Amino acid sequence: MAVIEVERLHKRYGDEVAVHDVSFEVERGEIFGVLGPNGAGKTTTVECLSGLRRRDGGRVSVLGLDPVTERDALRQVLGVQLQHSALPERLRVREALELYASFYRRPADIDGLLTRLGLTEKAGAAYKRLSGGQQQRLAIALAMVGSPQVVVLDELTTGLDPHARRATWELVEQVRDAGVTVLLVTHFMEEAERLCDRVALIDAGRVVAVDTPAGLAARAGREQRMRFRPSEPLADAELLALAEVTRVLHHGPQLEVVGTGNLVHAVTSLLARRQIIAGDLRVEQATLDDAFVSLTHATTSGATS
Amino acid sequence: MTTATPTAPVRPTVGMTRRGFTRLTLTQAKLLFREPAALVWMLVPVVLVLVLGSIPGFRTPQAGLGGQRVIDVYVPTFASMVPLFLALTALPMTLASYREKDVLRRLSVSPVPASGVLGALVTVVAALALTGAGLVAAVGALVFHVSAPAHLPAVLAGFALGGAAVLALGLVVAARARTAAAASGLGVPMMVLNFFASGLYVPVAELPHSVQQICAAIPFGAVTAIWSGQGVLWQHLLVLAGWTVAGGLTAVRLFRWE
Repeated sequence: MAVIEVERLHKRYGDEVAVHDVSFEVERGEIFGVLGPNGAGKTTTVECLSGLRRRDGGRVSVLGLDPVTERDALRQVLGVQLQHSALPERLRVREALELYASFYRRPADIDGLLTRLGLTEKAGAAYKRLSGGQQQRLAIALAMVGSPQVVVLDELTTGLDPHARRATWELVEQVRDAGVTVLLVTHFMEEAERLCDRVALIDAGRVVAVDTPAGLAARAGREQRMRFRPSEPLADAELLALAEVTRVLHHGPQLEVVGTGNLVHAVTSLLARRQIIAGDLRVEQATLDDAFVSLTHATTSGATS
Repeated sequence: MTTATPTAPVRPTVGMTRRGFTRLTLTQAKLLFREPAALVWMLVPVVLVLVLGSIPGFRTPQAGLGGQRVIDVYVPTFASMVPLFLALTALPMTLASYREKDVLRRLSVSPVPASGVLGALVTVVAALALTGAGLVAAVGALVFHVSAPAHLPAVLAGFALGGAAVLALGLVVAARARTAAAASGLGVPMMVLNFFASGLYVPVAELPHSVQQICAAIPFGAVTAIWSGQGVLWQHLLVLAGWTVAGGLTAVRLFRWE
């Protein structure tokens, strides 16, 4: 069942249209990515569904609630981590969590949150003394402190170093494993590929595609390549007989098979039937990056990570 | 302090829990005490009373002041400094810096309504102002034997309403100012004007009659006039109530999270 429904969302700022026409549904328990280049309308979309902005058109429902007219009820069950948000510099970690916990009818256990987010040692530290990664972890903790059913995480790992980014990804997976539906806004392909069950690709205020990361990658239509050293000789004709295979190249003892669609599955099945082992197997597949570039009009850097 | 606007009768909604409001108020108080500026401003007027009162000439009755001593005239003025600073500078600057640093943005996605944020800050500032002004009055009375005004209830009402009036004006600044600098740019001139009207720079009694009339239309000019028994009490109270209501309504209308 869909916990977030966005239907023909439209939002203008004066004459400028930030979101033309965005529709998608998020199912309970999934990590759903909203992906797109900078300025595509991602943040405006999540701001509209968090009740932070009033939409100019369309319908939005989060857990059956209208973010504008049922704002108070929604606040109690929706956790939001916003890009560009902060805490008073001198507020301490535990104080921040206790403060935000007091706003909710069903607050989470603060010590448990501190432990899960690795902030126990920093419980007494002032906000301004935290590193970027620690501030982001606190932001996740604050989004979780009301025991929400849905959390919105906006550009969670922007500005974090690779180590902190990976640690944060694990936290997002933990959040989902705790039964919370996650809406993740990002422009990092790697992040979407790693975390998201499904992704809505947004460009210039419109949804370009909604699919799994792998599905999106396949739409990029790029050739896939497999390289391996077969344990037994294998006739090219047998490979070329597969619908997925377009070309076979030889590099000494190595074979390179080029094709489309579910190439890997087709070739490995054939090898299994012939009881041939593929040594040094390497697969080069279309990535979300390729899909992103081919499906959006992103020509500048910064759209890729 | 809730602004529950139930829209769907099946789901009773609560804008803010009482527990949340209490916690927010206590947290604001703690944060203010961690910024030394607020404390300094509470103590400066007390020090001023002690310094001025220790000058012998200021403890002898002056004919120009209608037989009052300088210290008698200045205690209410110094007492007024505390609420003026807190309401017109500390309050708007705190809120504007929260807006500037996206602290309000974070709060705006929690169940806290704007009125809850403003209410908590106003509660803290009002409590501090009351303490500070009370401290000045206490030092004046106990150390320098400044006698309580003859019409104490009127003076207390004047101070309370005057405090409310400048808090409301401070909130107008706080509702919109994007940066702490902008807030102080708007708040400080208002504070200085009130200092003047309360006789901080020149005792009001020494000013020309027409200027005194204008001062009485400024919140703490009216408060000082009530203290010194000048003019008509209900007119002063009306001025203060007018500022409070107009300021409060404007602040609520103007408030923006970002």
